[in-house]
Amino acid sequence: MTRTIQIPNIREFMSRHLVDVFETMLSMKAVLQPSGTVPVFEERVTGCVAFAGDHINGAVYLHLGTPFATQVAATMLGLEPGDLGDAEVNDVVGEVTNMLTGGLKSWLCDSGAECAVSTPAIIRGSSFVIEAVPEVEREWLIFTSDQNRIVVEIHVKIG
Amino acid sequence: MAIKILSVDDSRTIRLIVGKAFRPYDVILLEAANGEEGLATAAREKPDLVILDVTMPVMDGVTMLTKLKEDPALKAIPVIMLTAESGRENVLQIARLGVRDYLVKPFKEDQLLEKVGRCVTLEKRPATIAPA
Repeated sequence: MTRTIQIPNIREFMSRHLVDVFETMLSMKAVLQPSGTVPVFEERVTGCVAFAGDHINGAVYLHLGTPFATQVAATMLGLEPGDLGDAEVNDVVGEVTNMLTGGLKSWLCDSGAECAVSTPAIIRGSSFVIEAVPEVEREWLIFTSDQNRIVVEIHVKIG
Repeated sequence: MAIKILSVDDSRTIRLIVGKAFRPYDVILLEAANGEEGLATAAREKPDLVILDVTMPVMDGVTMLTKLKEDPALKAIPVIMLTAESGRENVLQIARLGVRDYLVKPFKEDQLLEKVGRCVTLEKRPATIAPA
């Protein structure tokens, strides 16, 4: 049954799911940009949640520029950006990444690829690169919300 | 009289969102960061309702719910599960454990209030009068 899961399906699911998460939790409109663009990163907050099962494993990374991550956290918590510390911003980015990966997990399980998800981890900085290990396919999804960029990086190994 | 709602979630963000939703209402919000803390708080405070995350460290929501339902003093407390996973198997597993309702993340405050309002009576917080 897992043969029906292919990278384009995962990409399509996540394209819709991110828009839903940002609309529902933040009342923010995210618009998917044409594929093929290689993201250039600035100082950012990156959330990571891994998923693993017998037939599929990988990870979802959500990259947000630090000012936008702070704006997202303030909106979600109903607070002023100046009232937030790094811990609150980290927690919100982790939770949004958790919602993205939780939705993907549900979709994978309903498609016959049972898997479990990890708790979120956060990476902060500007000069780090996430490398994909051999046999893992990497997909980039780039969205904009007003002038802000939302980058989702998905690493997947099927089979 | 204020009702007690216990929010059990390892994400402080979710606990804050839940707290924000109930701010206008006469609710005492209790918080716990995992199932173990949640069980201890439930035993101590006897909340009117528990809002329970599924995936948490130390003790997950399914284990806490199972233990809650095994305890004669706590089993009648209604539980709403809050989960990021909407898969059929996950929902069926939760339903079998005897939850009152469940809510899938992402969710809107209105959805949370509607589901909680089916379990307990939410009354607006009395207006406070500033001292003269």
